[in-house]
Amino acid sequence: MSKLAGREDMTVIAFDVNHLAEEYDQKKPSEIIKLALDSFENLAISFSGADDVVLVDMAVRINPDVNVFSLDTGRLHTETYRLLEQVREHYNIQIEVLFPDTAAVQELVKEKGLYSFYKDGHKECCGIRKVGPLRRKLATLDAWITGQRKDQSPDTRAAVPVIEIDGTFSTSDNRLIKFNPLSNWTSNQIWQYIRKNDVPFNELHKRGFISIGCEPCTRPVLPNQHEREGRWWWEEATTKECGLHPGNLDKKSV
Amino acid sequence: MYITMVKKIRADGTPCRKCTEVEQLLRKETLLDKIDNIVIADERDPESGGMQLARKYNITYAPFFIVESEGKAPVIYTVYFQFVKEVFKTSTTEKQEIDEIMDMNPDIDFI
Repeated sequence: MSKLAGREDMTVIAFDVNHLAEEYDQKKPSEIIKLALDSFENLAISFSGADDVVLVDMAVRINPDVNVFSLDTGRLHTETYRLLEQVREHYNIQIEVLFPDTAAVQELVKEKGLYSFYKDGHKECCGIRKVGPLRRKLATLDAWITGQRKDQSPDTRAAVPVIEIDGTFSTSDNRLIKFNPLSNWTSNQIWQYIRKNDVPFNELHKRGFISIGCEPCTRPVLPNQHEREGRWWWEEATTKECGLHPGNLDKKSV
Repeated sequence: MYITMVKKIRADGTPCRKCTEVEQLLRKETLLDKIDNIVIADERDPESGGMQLARKYNITYAPFFIVESEGKAPVIYTVYFQFVKEVFKTSTTEKQEIDEIMDMNPDIDFI
């Protein structure tokens, strides 16, 4: 529950998302994380096992008991599992590892095999192994912190605010607030922070992986290739049909 | 309760595919007449009603629904199946809801 207002009063009334998003847009990620931790008790960091490890490092400095969860799709790289364990030990924190619904995975594999995504696209598998467990977890939270950054995808993440109402996972009973403290950081800044602070990182990064997801769906990229090209490369680039052109939205504020 | 649906006209003047699909679903389920107001978010006109509402509620995709009830903060729905389930108590499957979440958020899997 928000420390600012009770859920029954719709947290967002007291936690003025639009105002705070503007106020915190140019603040340091650690300041945004502090705001999140100070404002919400029932909050967790989503840690993917990639360079979003900096979120954990920053948060632990503010609150050593911060809640962290990670989605184990069952198809992650060994290196990612090793990092999860390394992070758990390094920071002396618990990481809540979430798993997909067994019956749904079994049904998918029985019907379509273990590599259906190469033929049918990745969405069905991702839906079962990743989005389903994420949604179940988020239904229990008031707020979450993600490692989403604008520079990860010029098409779909160009307008990621540092704080937003999560329009995808909020429900009428649970108004979910989403913090994206790294939104304005570049990959370069992330890596400067990792080196400067001796933050543990995924060994795959040394081998040219930038974005790290499941093992069958992730590959290293070449210099100057965008990180998105290392994911689901056999599929055509996605266009965000449903998007309201962010340029138009950004030009004016109500 | 007052329900507003915001649907999009794309920059090339054509209607958004998803918005059309959702409108057809509402019609099929005989729920369209329960929508009090349909507002257009015209990408060619930042001052169109729907674009203003999108800015006001910080929404970046369409369609979306605003449900206003007296004495309560407006509730925004960007997921159609969640909207009909919660507002009209229709039954939906988890798969339908997740499929739609992924359709509307092409990078939701990119986490």
